[in-house]
Amino acid sequence: MFACRVSTNPAGRVSALRGLGQLPTSFSALCTRQPGVRSISTAVHFYQNRQLEEYASKPATRLTLRQLVFFGKSMNEERLIKSANYVRTELPIRIAHRLRDMQALPYVVVTQEGVAKVYELYWTAFDKFRRYPEITTLEENDAFCTFVRGLLNDHKSVIPNLSLGLSLSSPYLLPDRLDTFMRRMLVSRISRRVLAEHHIALTESVKSQGQSSQVQENVGIICTGLQVQDSIERCVRYLRKRPRDIDEDVFSGSLNDAEWSEVIVDGHKDTRFAYIREHLEYIIFELLKNSLRATRQKHPSVRVLPPIRVTVVASDNDVYLRISDQGGGLISPEIKSPSDLFSFSHVRNATRLADARLGALRTLSSSQQGMTATVSEQIGKWQRDSDGDAPAQGVNPHPRIGIGLPMSNIYATYFGGTLELVSLDGYGTDVYVRLPKLGKNLEGIEL
Amino acid sequence: MKRLSTVRCLGRVTRPACERSRLSVLTRPRHTATFSSSSSRHHDFHFHAEPSKENTLSPTDLSRLIEEHAKHPPRPLTLSTLLSFARPLTPESVLKSVGYVFTEIPRRLAMRARSLESLPFIVGMNPFITRTLQAHRRAFQFLIMHPPVKTLEENARFIEQLSELVQSHANDIPAMAKGFQECSRYLTPEQISEFLDSTIRNRIAVRLIAEQHIAFVATWRGETKQTDETHLGVVDLACSPKEMIGVCGSFVSDLCEATLGASPQIVIDGDADATFAYVPVHLEYILTEILKNAFRATVEWHQRHHSHTSTVPIPPVVITIAAPPRSDPSGPNGIRTPCPRYLSMRVRDQGGGVPPANMSRIFSYSFTTAGRGAEGNGSGYDDDGMGGDGGGSGSGGGLFTEITGRGVQMGMGTIAGLGYFGGSLDFKSLDGWGSDVFIKLRCLDDGGDIEL
Repeated sequence: MFACRVSTNPAGRVSALRGLGQLPTSFSALCTRQPGVRSISTAVHFYQNRQLEEYASKPATRLTLRQLVFFGKSMNEERLIKSANYVRTELPIRIAHRLRDMQALPYVVVTQEGVAKVYELYWTAFDKFRRYPEITTLEENDAFCTFVRGLLNDHKSVIPNLSLGLSLSSPYLLPDRLDTFMRRMLVSRISRRVLAEHHIALTESVKSQGQSSQVQENVGIICTGLQVQDSIERCVRYLRKRPRDIDEDVFSGSLNDAEWSEVIVDGHKDTRFAYIREHLEYIIFELLKNSLRATRQKHPSVRVLPPIRVTVVASDNDVYLRISDQGGGLISPEIKSPSDLFSFSHVRNATRLADARLGALRTLSSSQQGMTATVSEQIGKWQRDSDGDAPAQGVNPHPRIGIGLPMSNIYATYFGGTLELVSLDGYGTDVYVRLPKLGKNLEGIEL
Repeated sequence: MKRLSTVRCLGRVTRPACERSRLSVLTRPRHTATFSSSSSRHHDFHFHAEPSKENTLSPTDLSRLIEEHAKHPPRPLTLSTLLSFARPLTPESVLKSVGYVFTEIPRRLAMRARSLESLPFIVGMNPFITRTLQAHRRAFQFLIMHPPVKTLEENARFIEQLSELVQSHANDIPAMAKGFQECSRYLTPEQISEFLDSTIRNRIAVRLIAEQHIAFVATWRGETKQTDETHLGVVDLACSPKEMIGVCGSFVSDLCEATLGASPQIVIDGDADATFAYVPVHLEYILTEILKNAFRATVEWHQRHHSHTSTVPIPPVVITIAAPPRSDPSGPNGIRTPCPRYLSMRVRDQGGGVPPANMSRIFSYSFTTAGRGAEGNGSGYDDDGMGGDGGGSGSGGGLFTEITGRGVQMGMGTIAGLGYFGGSLDFKSLDGWGSDVFIKLRCLDDGGDIEL
């Protein structure tokens, strides 16, 4: 990384100018250390922006779930290469839109801790994608997949960094603006991961076409016959295996150590539909996790914790999930209405700037594990911890960073669904999830 | 005309308790009010009524008075002020209370009359609307022309007339609703909605003021079992939702059995024995509404999916009560801020739910799924608006439809009145399974800052 030292004395300026030939890449380093000083590197970035604008001026090609499935069936070499090039050209366009969004934010926000890092990551990714040559063979596709996997890995710290940065920026942005920006960032991120991972999965399936694949109903990352009850039961199994005092460090005083609540499923139990398993399971997982925790907190002294009821319903167009718990509801002085829980603005949700929350986010942002917002990531962490491995880099094993609900909302709305919470204050909470089941809705990006 | 009388007849027979005056014990056989011909002595008004004839005002004079009254916005009257008359209940506070009746009710009646008069002429020509307007004018006139009540004996006579007055307006809203339905091509649904909403709110205020006064007196005279320990006029300090559910539930159940042949059970869970301070009549009204929807939806959905000989039981309607949280949540600094307390209830049914396309219209007064472009095969919520012509969603229909579709209730739309006391209603539906209705009712121990 080229660090351009800038000073106001003439000698310093001369030395800086001498270094002009090498392009600096650490835009954030300069900005955070010397705010307000115009550095040469940002000037260069400023003029380079034309390339970005070229990409940003192209519209994103939004897809429906159906299109993803349709394209993925009957895969062959030719189609796979076509898919690779689609990903290669589409992703930089979407990243460009996000970069332009960030460029439109107030200067003080983007130079904020966390946001600056994300900007840098995105810029690097954009640059690498736009220089990537066209893919013409399967070998080149393999290299491309490795490249994409690498980028996905690099970007694991985006979510905690962004949450941290935006929460700290609450004073500088109106809540609506902040939340709209955050939403667009997160939805776009999911969409890019979907495209990338779908393509990688298709590549795998083409490779293994000779061998019999057990899960024939998978097309890329989409499971065409996803069984809802099955997903629920899997999540429940993992959640109930957790130690009963897993939330104890969050609450003062000892919690009830009764067994975790039972989860009872009713409704149209044999509902199946085409969806991305990871998305559905994340939503279920996070919501059940919240319900289990709240129920335990609300009943400190009963022998058997009240159950959680999940109702699954399939209508003509949608699949519904209703999760009802007896966790005492959502009464809290920090929020006015349940939808405030989705907000990253301190104005709407005062917990965003709570010390413990910020601390947890900071730790997670700087750790290597980052966060991909998936269930498997969380399960992996518990298993490692329960095996006695020291928590990575001193990370509190179970920091509550407050991302579960906003992310669940983003996942739910990505293909045109909804997620709503209703509180029966003093008794419990009902969460209503609706996911479209016909796959006909376009991705909810750029909205 | 025949149809008209049928509606009215049904209205009387099947009207739930909340519309039947509970104060019938005080009502003596009707006698016409006698108007004094004394000159006006209304304290706060800027003019005097000078009747041109012995016993009544000329129409123009009356109109002028109404105009004047309507121009003055009602004095902000908080529920806590109204309730304060009962603490303590003395002859002086009774007279003070009647003073409020004379100042606050005419003003509100005048405003209603004026807004009716502002409707398009063609709407005003509708006999239902005309009738309602005349009723308002008459009531206004009665109060304006009434001599001041200075003694408890005068108050006693006045009370009877007042309760009759309230009684005579019991059918106001359904009549207006019917009138609007007939005028649906001259007004937009939004206009109708807005008009009925403010009418309902206005009516609640008038009734509250009137009945509060009547109830105080009854308590003071020892004519009811209500003491000022447990009641503050119409506010029952220990209103029991469980009891109310029992009363409304059996009423609705009977209705349901009679019309559809079956009815679901009610299961109560949560804080079943919770009590709170509320206006029982209001709660009864709300519960009856909601239970009718839930019962009908449940039975019709069940019948559609199971044959008559099926032994599969009808799924119950589950009502969960959540008592108001005991203490105010502490703010970030640990400081407790006083905030209004609410009792919440959730009514859960398995009546098939409502398709998303119909969700936004469910609160509309003119919504109906009977053949007017609504989606779905007609769930159990058909005709919970003003009722279509011919009503009925197929099976059953008939009486129940008449009642829920027309008559006194207006389905979900009426719940606009709930917002009056700072409560709220939320409706969530799982299309193809059932619905949840969430209601939040504000505890009225001290009335707080609720303005009437």
